[in-house]
Amino acid sequence: MARSKSTLSEDQVIALEAHLAGVLTRVVPPIEVVQRLREQIRFPQSKEIVLRLRDWQRMFFVFSGVMSGLLVIITIARALYYFVARKHM
Amino acid sequence: MPELEFNEEDVLTRASQGDRDAFGLLYERYIDRIFNYVYYRTGNLHDAEDLTARVFQRAMNHIKNYTDRGVPFSAWLYRIAHNLVANWHRDRSRRQEIPIHDVPVLPSKGDHPEKNLVRSQEQDALLRLIRRLPGERQNLLILKFVENMSNAEIGAIMGRSEGAVKSLYHRTLLALRDQLGDQSINLDGE
Repeated sequence: MARSKSTLSEDQVIALEAHLAGVLTRVVPPIEVVQRLREQIRFPQSKEIVLRLRDWQRMFFVFSGVMSGLLVIITIARALYYFVARKHM
Repeated sequence: MPELEFNEEDVLTRASQGDRDAFGLLYERYIDRIFNYVYYRTGNLHDAEDLTARVFQRAMNHIKNYTDRGVPFSAWLYRIAHNLVANWHRDRSRRQEIPIHDVPVLPSKGDHPEKNLVRSQEQDALLRLIRRLPGERQNLLILKFVENMSNAEIGAIMGRSEGAVKSLYHRTLLALRDQLGDQSINLDGE
């Protein structure tokens, strides 16, 4: 095949592309690799959990949310008790 | 999930709102492509797995910042993969690289399971040449041949115009032709 320094003949392009297509084929990742990766995506990594626990703003909101919820439940329970107790008086 | 039911825009919106199941759908859709890209850029199954995981972890952590400005989500993922692979090469530049012919050959799509997975010497030589090319040329060849992308799609990922990709491809083929000639690999066919 005649070689010119900076040009490619059509035959050369076809031959090169055929070689490349033969080598650069799409591979199938091993099933266990896909499975491991899927688990990493679905479940937060331990590092992420530690970071979440260290996030004081998040913890503040979680704590205040739980306390507010408890307060609402106690208030409703007290109100119910008050009304039921009044009926029996 | 069948292709017809997959509305990427909707799935992306849900994923950016923190819906892990939606992100899982994106993962299922792109895992093969990202793995292939990383595998060919590293030539190493173990690192390909590790880097693919990091690509999706990073994508999951930053998906809120993803905005569709004409760049498809796949291009965004490939850019993350490209950056991580570049860092990986930088970190490993001082260490010895695993030659591609020592790496187990993975079955290609459509291969019969019992097919003998052995590369010819010529294919090995060509792979070694490809891996010696500059990173952007390797990216171009992987996206073109492994992913069957058009020059325009490759341009969107590489941040270049279609014409620039075409020109880079031509220069890459020229370089490969010369190097193949130096290694006495026949380009004329049988």
